[in-house]
Order: sequence, then structure tokens, then C-alpha cells
Amino acid sequence: MNQLVNSSRKIVCDGNEAAARAVVLARPDVVSVFPITPQSSLVESLSQFVADGVLTAELINAEGEHSVLSALQGACLAGARTYTATSGPGLAFMFEPYIRTPGLRLPMVVSLVTRDMLSPQCVWGGQQDAMTVRECGWIQVYCENVQEVLDTVIMAFKLAEHKDVLLPVNVCHDGNYLSYAVSRIELPAAEMVDGFLGEPDVNWHIALDPDRPMAVDPLTGGTGPGGAASFVGYRKSQVRGMANALEVFSDIHVEWGERFGRHWAPLVEEYRLEDADYAIVTIGSMTGAGKDAVDAARERGEKVGLIKVKTYRPFPRDAIIAALGKVKAAGIVDRSVSFAWDCGPLHQDVMTTLFASPHRLALVGFIGGLAGADITSEHFQRVIELTAQAARGDVSASPIWLNEHD
Amino acid sequence: MASQDTIRFISERCDGCGDCMTACAKAKGSASRVAIVAGSDGGWEMALCRQCGDPKCVANCPAGALDKHRDSGIVDWFKDLCVDCHLCTVGCVYGGIVFDPAAGHVQKCDMCDGSPACVPACDKGALEHLSAAGRLHEIHADKEDMFVPGLSACQGCNSELLIRHTMRRIGRNSVVAAPPGCIPGMGTVGYNGQTGAKMPIFHPLLTNTAAMLGGVKRQYERKGRDVTVVALAGDGGAVDVGFQSLSGAAERGERVLFICVDNEGYMNTGMQASGSTTFGSWTSTTPVGEIGRGKSTDGKYLPQLLMGHGCAYVATASTAFLDDYHAKLEKALEASRTGFAYLHVHAPCPTGWRFPAAMTTEVCRRQVETNFVTLWEFTPEDGLCFTRGVGRPRPVSDYVGMIGKYKHLGPAELERIQASVHRRVEVLQGFRRRSTAAG
Amino acid sequence: MHARYLIIGSSHAGREALAAIRMADPQGRLVMLSRERHRPYSPTILPYVVSGRSDPRKVGLGSVAWFAENRAELVLDAQVVAVDADARAVRLADGGCWTYDKLLLATGAEPVVPPVEGLEGVRYHVLRTLDDALAIRARAATARRAVVLGAGLVGMHAAETLAGAGLDVTVVEMRPHVLAEYFDPRASTLIRETFERHGTHMMMGRRVERAAGVETEACRLGLDDGTELEADLLLVAAGVRPALRMLADSGIATDKGILVDTRMRTARDGVWAAGDVAQAPGFPTGAPMVNGTLPEAVEQGRIAGMDMAGDDDLRPYLGGIPLNTYGFFGRHAVAVGAAAAPAGDGVEVVTDEGDGYCRIALKDNRLIGLAAIDRVMDAGILWRLIQRRVDLGPVRDRFLSHPLETARALMSRGWR
Repeated sequence: MNQLVNSSRKIVCDGNEAAARAVVLARPDVVSVFPITPQSSLVESLSQFVADGVLTAELINAEGEHSVLSALQGACLAGARTYTATSGPGLAFMFEPYIRTPGLRLPMVVSLVTRDMLSPQCVWGGQQDAMTVRECGWIQVYCENVQEVLDTVIMAFKLAEHKDVLLPVNVCHDGNYLSYAVSRIELPAAEMVDGFLGEPDVNWHIALDPDRPMAVDPLTGGTGPGGAASFVGYRKSQVRGMANALEVFSDIHVEWGERFGRHWAPLVEEYRLEDADYAIVTIGSMTGAGKDAVDAARERGEKVGLIKVKTYRPFPRDAIIAALGKVKAAGIVDRSVSFAWDCGPLHQDVMTTLFASPHRLALVGFIGGLAGADITSEHFQRVIELTAQAARGDVSASPIWLNEHD
Repeated sequence: MASQDTIRFISERCDGCGDCMTACAKAKGSASRVAIVAGSDGGWEMALCRQCGDPKCVANCPAGALDKHRDSGIVDWFKDLCVDCHLCTVGCVYGGIVFDPAAGHVQKCDMCDGSPACVPACDKGALEHLSAAGRLHEIHADKEDMFVPGLSACQGCNSELLIRHTMRRIGRNSVVAAPPGCIPGMGTVGYNGQTGAKMPIFHPLLTNTAAMLGGVKRQYERKGRDVTVVALAGDGGAVDVGFQSLSGAAERGERVLFICVDNEGYMNTGMQASGSTTFGSWTSTTPVGEIGRGKSTDGKYLPQLLMGHGCAYVATASTAFLDDYHAKLEKALEASRTGFAYLHVHAPCPTGWRFPAAMTTEVCRRQVETNFVTLWEFTPEDGLCFTRGVGRPRPVSDYVGMIGKYKHLGPAELERIQASVHRRVEVLQGFRRRSTAAG
Repeated sequence: MHARYLIIGSSHAGREALAAIRMADPQGRLVMLSRERHRPYSPTILPYVVSGRSDPRKVGLGSVAWFAENRAELVLDAQVVAVDADARAVRLADGGCWTYDKLLLATGAEPVVPPVEGLEGVRYHVLRTLDDALAIRARAATARRAVVLGAGLVGMHAAETLAGAGLDVTVVEMRPHVLAEYFDPRASTLIRETFERHGTHMMMGRRVERAAGVETEACRLGLDDGTELEADLLLVAAGVRPALRMLADSGIATDKGILVDTRMRTARDGVWAAGDVAQAPGFPTGAPMVNGTLPEAVEQGRIAGMDMAGDDDLRPYLGGIPLNTYGFFGRHAVAVGAAAAPAGDGVEVVTDEGDGYCRIALKDNRLIGLAAIDRVMDAGILWRLIQRRVDLGPVRDRFLSHPLETARALMSRGWR
């Protein structure tokens, strides 16, 4: 096992194992786990790594996700680099400590193995869980494939712990399509990851440490002397940290590429967009099928490109505006819904972003892949057709439910 | 039984001068009741009544001439009833009650109405008058108070007393969690940049105190640092929404000391009922009206549930018996080095329960004297052990009658409370390690 | 009627058992049966009722409030005549019946009346109950001459009391010495001489052979040496024996008393015995002995009660040690352990009559018994030294010359 982990080599594994292997490489101090579909094999891997001595972290087998995150908060306040993963209902149960974590400025990494939300009852993939917590102050990034899962989990620690950011990060990978999809990937050498991440320094700003006694999170706000200003000060700096994440994450990706030879687009990836008339916009594992469909359409002479959103929170407004500035129409594919806006959340964010741009273009919204449904090349073929139609001025009514008849 | 005052003898300081005996003889107009005798190694030793908790002199008296005073704890001797049989001297293994030939009857120390003449007579400091409060003072007075003056607890609240005692003992090398409730409410964690505590303290969620502390402790264990982590929680954060994380941490044996200060409801936010609220209690969410008669069910008895978790140490305590509390705190701290330790301290709330602020300690005492509250400790090895006998309780009405939140109760409801008090004692007795008793 | 705990007898053993049961079990129904019409009292108090020192209305061992506090029921005038250990039931003289889960026999002892010709036709007294004491007290008010048969504790106490009331008192004892169960011959002699100095006639080594009534309550006694004595108050104080009659056919093993183990359990499940009725292991050999002293009744009662209630803190009985304290004519005596043990066979005896009297018996440098007259002694400390077999080797000489102080120093150091 040790050899597997410590040498840079190629292995075959699924996304859950890739995340677990990334965690081993990041050398967290405390890992707390509670199993839930489709995350379970991830925490099983972590537990096995601890049992085998490959991962030397404190492992807390908590009695539920609420305590999982709570224990990590305590550990983090005592100086620990921390990690866990969850899905769907587990995230919902975790919500109370979850929403508190960014305000405490605790630089944790938590994988969301995304899952659709109850009800209707379901246990399959979909991004509704992650999208539901998109306004909680966590950084959210979405991965396209197994290698990106591994690389991004490691990079996420560096992002979270960066002193200009200091926020928790959700690395999202799609339930079923990434959690269980097996690929050949490259596993970086441990010492190289050590050099990349450095020693954790997570509680320099706020600590539960007898050597630095302080009251953590006393009451703030109200109308007492300085209360309002104090609360606003904390909130504003939290928002600033969030904004800083875009640049910091971009820098981290550059460094990653230099050290490990793999170059991922940190915020938004533009695929065959340079001469495109129109584009499709994707998020997560659907991107692969999307790219295949774009390639096929290009073969047919369609001038179509693809925009993949990796960093979703904070929303990369400038990068989105720049990419969409190149096309006349865009078809946005969401794997979840925004109940208030009768569209997908990504669609809604794109619309909001375009208000800040003089450029106007036609948008068509698609919702697909809910509850484990596949978004196939054929589905993307339809997305491309309808987007092409929109680019020609014939804009279909959104949203279009891709799996409605499957 | 009240705390017993005693006189402590420090043999190393005694030079055998006998001034204490002179002072006693003078004060009592008879032979001295304290006896200093030469030891075998050149030092000095003492014989004196210890005012025993279970005095054999009393049991051995055929005439009812000896009795242990219920309040003072002093073993009183009544000359009128004594028949000079001296069987009391057989019962005493301390030489504390002795026949005085000059007086023609036995004599024993009566603590001189609370200020023993022998003690100040000793200028070597070989005798110390130890009241329960005095003993605690001796042990803890020099330790730092870990909270600032001016915490804003309600008048008569015993929680402030309790947390000051507790943290004075535990000291700075600690991390304290005070989940929402009266304890942070009185300013321990602080407001807007100011804190009431000198050690690291934080404000966990009402729901996650034990889990969060477990995480703190794990990290310090990983770093090889010995830091005591303590929860100062209310009943809501333990009995109600805090229960899951408490249960999980207990099951995992996290090396945490969890102290639940039980005031039987959400007193900090306006006296709403909690799972710990007892049957019949008026609260703002179990009000009394045309139909309502206060809480209609019994409270959840958390310490018993923690026993079921096999914690390293579980104990109940009352601030009317602080020496008992301190003894348990010591054991709990020791146990928390290897496993989960839980202390359940009863905290009658003058504001929310409607009784005069000056009566808190008396209410605490009465809770115990009626078995409404029982004092016990538990370890998996030794089972449950009562640290104060439950054998001769006062009727529970003696307690209920002191408390405004029960004032609407009638005889039938009182009877139900009495019955559940009995039942709980019986259930607890079942947790004792059984001997091989017959029958 | 049914009781979880049924206690027969209301003196020290029963009372201690009751308290011990309630320490461990506050609920189980607890009933105490007493054959008396009076509320519970200690037999030890009776000589003082005779003398008038103790007010018979104030000798109670358990007030109504005490029983109420302990939630125990006291049934007076309940004479148990039979125990059925199979059915877990006891039968009363009035035909009533109690069933039980756990039974304590704390029935105490009853006077022994020696076989004296003609005694059955004479009005004589015994002193075991409060009614006995009141009858003697009433009689003493008009009597002039008293004869006391027996120089045990009861007889000696009564003799002193009657002498104090102005009667002309004669004590007749068939053994050569007074209080021979407790004191060595020299100590007994000193005690007897004190009585003689106070005008009591002490007829030692004599036996009453005949008794005959003279008038209403007077009698004439014929002794084995031909002496004739007249008495208008005759007290038979020839000792006591455990009250066992109710146990016929019960299957409860008896010898001199009810045989019990170190938890005061009898041979039958669910039945315990304690106090003067019990024959418990003696110290140090464990051989069964009837050790009818008040402190032993207290100790045995407590152990029985704890065992009955399943109290885990029970520590088994360490064995009976004879022990008594005795005040007479303003003097005082104490005897602990084998105080009369003769020298030899490894036993070393040191006596000192320099200031009062003191006799110390050692074996292997360990105290086995001590008797003293007019010497202040802490009987409880001595008892503990014997029981713990404390090695006196390092302080032997000091102990022999200053037993009080040395024992106190050992206590202060040893069980501080």
C-alpha cells in the first residue's frame, strides 16, 4: 500500500477512491466519517487506509453527519487539517454546523458526492444537494472526471487554507457517474504533494488552544456599542475571502500544472469556443458527453463550442462573460433545478451575470440527469440542435427536460 | 445528613505541649475531651471524637443518650438519659467518647457550638477546624478563578457557583464549551469582543457540544498535548437536541468531561419546558390554565441513560453537597483521561421555578433529602454506588412545597411525583453491583 | 399478611437490621414484630428502670417518628410461636400469620430458672422485660430483704440497685467468682469486695437447694451448706439462654443458639438471625459462640440487615469478641476479649495494681484480652487492636506500662 501511495504511478480506480487517495496525499490530521449512498465507498476506502496505516489521521466514526462536521470543527479549531465527505440527506442533516463553518473561517475540505434530494425518494446522482447549499458561504467546485477529482481534492486544501481565502471548500463529484466510474489515473508522488501543500496552518486566526486563550465566537451584533460594526466587519471579510478565491484558485491551478503536468481550467473551461457561433454550458461529469457531442457536431460542420463551469461558488462572473462574449446563443444544461426561477441554478446564475455585460445573446435552459438519469450524446445532440436554432433566432421555451420521456 | 465539621490533627506540627487539652478542660470545666499522647517514634498523636457519619457509640447506647444531630452532624450526648453503662466506649474506635472518673460519666467533644476552643489554643497549627466549606477553601482558595467578576447570572443561581468551582479546579490548561443556555447567557463566552473567561472557551451549537469537544481532544491527543476539554452544558444541550452527539461521543469513549447543569428547562430564554422538565412543572410552554396542569409527563433522566453507555464515569451532584461534588469532579477528571466522563448537576432556578433567591442551596438540599435528587456515581467496574444514602427520605412534598412552579398541584399529582421518586430509587438500586445475597 | 422483610424482635439487633435494610432498600415492606406491649427498649436499660434512674417512659429505642421515617411497621403484642421456613411464614399466639420474603430472628434471650426444689411455689422475679423491671421496682418499695440468685451482670446490677434502695441484699452464686464470664478471678474479687464494703452479702460457691413460700411474697431459701436465708424479694438472675422455642420443626439449625454464618444467614434460605439468639462464629477460631452483648447485637443486626437487602457494602462478620463495660458503686470496670485467659500455652499475662487494676493478656505480642478496674480505657480501640491482630512488638513495653496512651497512639497513626 505504502508503495502505491508514495510513488507517482498510474492506477485504475473510481472517483470515490480517487478522492480517498487524494486525502491520503493531503495528510489531514483528523478525518471524521459517516457512510451514505453514494459516498460510502469513499469513507470505506479512507477507513481501510487508516486501518492499513497508510493514512495516519485520527479517524472519528461519528454517529451522524451532524457530529461528523462538528467534530471536525473542534479539531480544526485545535489546529487540525480536516476532511470528510457526504451526500444528499447527509448534507441536509449536517446543515446546522455546515452553515456555521464559513463564518468561523474554518478551512475544511468536504467532498460532496452529489445526489438528488428527497422526495421523491431516490438514492441516485444529481446535483440538487450541492445546489441547495450554494448560498451557504462554502466554495464549490465541480469535477469532470476521476483524475480531476483526485487533483482537485488536493488543490482544495491549498485553496481553503490560503490566508486570503480561509474558507471551507466543497469538491463536488457526481454520484454514480463519478463516484463509481472507473478510470485510469495518475497518482502523484506523496513527497511532491507535501511540497505543494506544505504544513497545515489552519487556526492562526481563531483557536481553542490553552497556549493562546481566547473566546471563540462570542455573541456579536445587536444594537450594543460596536455590535453592528463588528458583525458587518466579520461578514464583509468573509465575502472578501470568497471573492479572493477566484484568483487564488487560478494561481493554484497554474502551480499544479507546473508541478504535476496536468492543466485544468480553474474557473471556466472553453472547449472549441474560439470560432463558435454558439455554445453549450455544462457542469460536472456531463461535460465529457457534451464534449463528445460537440466533436461530432463539429464533424458535421456545426460551429459549436462548450463552456464547462468548474468553480461555481464564488461564481466566476468575468470568466463567464468573457466566454459567452464569443457566441450568439448558449444552451445551459443543469443537473438540478431552481424551484423559484423555473430553470436550472446555473442557468439562473448565467442570466444574472449577463446583466453586467453589454453583450446580449439567446439562452436556452435544459434540465437533465436528475436522480441518476444519463445525459447521453443523443441528449446533447438535441441540446446542440435547439441551441443552434436559438442562434438562428428561434428560441425554444425553457426549461427543456431532457429525460422527460426516457 | 449535614456536612460534618471535624477537627483535623497534623501530627508533624504537634510538640505535645498540651495547650489544646488545657483549653478544652477550661472551656468545658472538666477533663479534656481531646487527648494528645506520645507516639512510638517521638512524635505525638491524638484521640478525639470524629463526629462519625454512622456513629457506633449511638448504636450501642441502650438509653437513647446519644444522637447524631440531623443538621449540625454533631454527635450529642444527653446527661439526663445516660445510665453510665459505658457501652458507647466500646463502639468508638477513636477514643472519642471516654469515661471521666472525676465527672463520673462519659465525655465527648461537642465542637463547642461551632468554634472549638482547642483549635485556636494551638499556636503550632497542629489542629484545624474543618467545616465542609473550610476544607474546600483549603484545597481551592489559592487557585485562580477562571471567570471574571461580574458574570450576569440571575440572583441566587447556583450555576455560576458551580462553574467557578469547577474551572478553579481544572485551571487554564483546558478548553471549555458552553452551548447556548444560561452559562454563556451570563457572559462566560462574551459579547462583542469581550469575554468572561480566562481559558479558551467557545459557544458550540446547542446540538453538537460533545462532538465538537471530541474533535478538539482528538487533535490534542494527536499532538501529544494533555489538554482537559470540558462541556458546561444545560439540560437542553444534553437531554434534548444535544443528546445525539452526547450519546455518540459517549459511545466512542471520547476523552471529554461533560457537565450537564440541569435546571429542568430552557430558563435562559423564558422558562420553556425541556425533556428534563419534571412532571407537573409550570413552564411557559407547559402552562397552567383551565385545562393545563403543567407538564404532563416525567422528565427524561439523562444520567441513567449515560450509565447505559458504559461511560468511564457517571455521577450526579448537588451544589448543596459541594464536597461530594468536588470528590466526583476529581474522579470525573481522572476518568476523562481514558474515557467519557459525565457529571449531572442539579440546578434549581429561582427565577424560573419561582422560589426566593436566598433559598437555592436549601432547595438543593431538600431535593436530595427527599430523594427527588439522588447522589450517586457509576463506573462500569463497580456499578452504581450511592454517595449519600437514599434510605430515609423526607416526603417529596417537603420539596415540592418550596417551589412555585408546583404550587397548582393537588394531592393526586403529589402522589404521582412521590411514586416516581420511589420508582427511580428502585431502578437505580438495580444498577448497583450485586453481591451474592440470598433470597 | 405479607412483608418483604419481617423482623422478629425489637431490641438492638432488630433495630440495626431495620436501619440497615432501609439504607439499601427504601421501599420494600418492612414489619417488625414485638411480643411486648411496650414500645421497643433495650434490656440493658432494665436495671436502671429498677433503680429509678431511667424513666420507663423515656427508654424507647424507636419512636413513632423513627419508625415512620424508616417506613417500617411495628406490631406490638405479637408473640411468634412457630416459624415455617418452607412456607416462609410465621404463626402468632393469637392465631395470626405473617408471610415474608426475608425473615430476621432477633428474638433475644430468656431467663434461665435453675432447678430448685420448691421454687415453683414461690413468688420470684426475673429481670428481662420492662414489666419485670416495673414489678421489681414496685416490690422493692416495700421489701426489706432481697436475695439475688446469680452474680452475672443482671444479678450484680440488680443487687447494687436494691442495696441502693435500702434493702438488705444477699447474692448467692454457685461459681466462686462474680462476673466470671468476663473477668479474671482477681478482678472479680476486687468487684466482690466492693459490694461487700457496701454491705451486700456475697455468698460465693453456694447453691440454693430449697425454696419455700412464707407469706405473700416472702420466702425461705435453703443453701447447700445449710444456711437458711429469708427474703421478701427473690430475684432469679442465673443467666439467660437464646429464645428458641418457636423454631421447633423449622429446620433452622440450632445449638446453644441459632447457628449463623458470617452474614448471619441461618441454615434455611430467607432466614437470618442476629443478637442474643444467634450463635455466630467467634473470634479468632470461628467456632460458634453465643456472645450476648449489646455491641455484638448491633454489629450482627447491621450485617443481617445489609445482607437481607443485598447491600453491596457488606463486610462479613469478623467473629464475636467478648466484651463488657461495667459501672458499680461509682467505680468502673472494662473487659475486652479473652480478659481472663490464664497464663501459659503462649499466653503472657501482665497485671498491674498500682493504680486501680489492669490485666493484659498477650499472645505472640498481640493483644488477646484486657481487663481493668478504675482505669480509663478506650474499649473500642482495644477491641480493634484485638480484631486486627495488631503487632505490639515495637511498642510492647510502652503498651504494658501505658496501655491507654499507647493504644491511642496506635489508633491515631494506624487508622488515621
